[in-house]
Amino acid sequence: MQFLSEGVTHAVRLLIVGDAEVISAAWNSVWISISAVLLATAVSVPIAIMLYESKSWVSSSLVVLFRAALNLPTVFIGLVCYAVFSRQGPLGSAELLYSPYGVVTGEFMLAVPIVVSLTFGTLQGLDSRILETMRTLHVGSRLRWITYISEARLGMMVAVLTAFSRCITELGIAMMVGGNIKFHTRTLTTATALETSRGEFARGIAMCLILLLIGGCITVLLAWMQRTQESIRA
Amino acid sequence: MIDVTELKVVRQSRTICQLDTLQIGSQDRIGIVGSNGSGKTTLLKVLAGLETDYQGRMNGSPEVRNQTTYVHQSPFLLRGTVLQNVMFGLRMQKIGRRERSQMALAWLKALGIAHLAERSTQNLSGGERRRTAMARALAVQPKLLLLDEPLADLDPGGIDAVVRVIHEYPHAVVIASPVTLPAELSCRIVTL
Repeated sequence: MQFLSEGVTHAVRLLIVGDAEVISAAWNSVWISISAVLLATAVSVPIAIMLYESKSWVSSSLVVLFRAALNLPTVFIGLVCYAVFSRQGPLGSAELLYSPYGVVTGEFMLAVPIVVSLTFGTLQGLDSRILETMRTLHVGSRLRWITYISEARLGMMVAVLTAFSRCITELGIAMMVGGNIKFHTRTLTTATALETSRGEFARGIAMCLILLLIGGCITVLLAWMQRTQESIRA
Repeated sequence: MIDVTELKVVRQSRTICQLDTLQIGSQDRIGIVGSNGSGKTTLLKVLAGLETDYQGRMNGSPEVRNQTTYVHQSPFLLRGTVLQNVMFGLRMQKIGRRERSQMALAWLKALGIAHLAERSTQNLSGGERRRTAMARALAVQPKLLLLDEPLADLDPGGIDAVVRVIHEYPHAVVIASPVTLPAELSCRIVTL
């Protein structure tokens, strides 16, 4: 147990002095995840609204597909991205492999099903009279969409934070597509895996502490949102 | 304006609404009266185009279809203030914000709830919610206004205001009610 306590002490020291490797990995994790989730949100929210408004069997099938995609392992997404971005792949010329933008793309694919499924669930939970009220007031699609987003905003925020939480803690995509290149594509999770395998527990623990801190902040934020939503309903 | 013939709505092998014939003229006042579960709401939803799975015929010009507004029995109000809700439908019309606000306030005043304009919709009583939803529907000046039990939950002052507004409204109004409607509305009664 001593190595653990020493690891924690050393980790805190690394964080206090602002170790360049730790800070770089943390920064990479944060900006890559935020970019992926923002892009995913921009794409997923309109998809979720279209699925909510459509009553066809095609949309029902798509909802099932998106829900099934929630279970995709990150290594599978990493593998697909690797195949697509590698020299022989269809997007080889884009040189996305071993670049942070490649990781953003992979995490985008991870986040889309999460945001679509959770946003769709939130919209389905909305009062059915909203849709009827919009129709009967003959509101245009732009205003209708703004209204849905406004009415379901807390649920959508939960979807976005859940996707962010999943992206920042994933390892498979960052490792396979990013390649864990120091100061370039190394993230908190890939760094933790590397440092632990090298026996550098202190660095590994420092990375994990940052991840836990971010995870803790997201949990607090989600709990606060849930309370806000409950107080509004009451 | 709208002709309904041999309308029948069936759900799970049960007829929930049946009507032989109904003609709605451009300035008609029609009262749909019937007991609970007689299909009044279903009929209004068919007229509003919200219920499309029915048997029979309904003829009406697209212009009227696109200017038909329905107010729920238990209306849904958006987040925000009463005034914002009433202005909501007007956002589709190409008029300035100030004018929209004045129009919305005029309807709130007519329905006796102008003093609630800045109040959040979360803090309204049942009757106030009903009148807010009615003001929102009236503000868009539909050619056909469908009201589902508009007088429920209202105090005598509220009933007077609503009856006066409906009476003076220049276009067709169809009102569903489980009880007899006030004589001042001069409604043609259709019993379900």
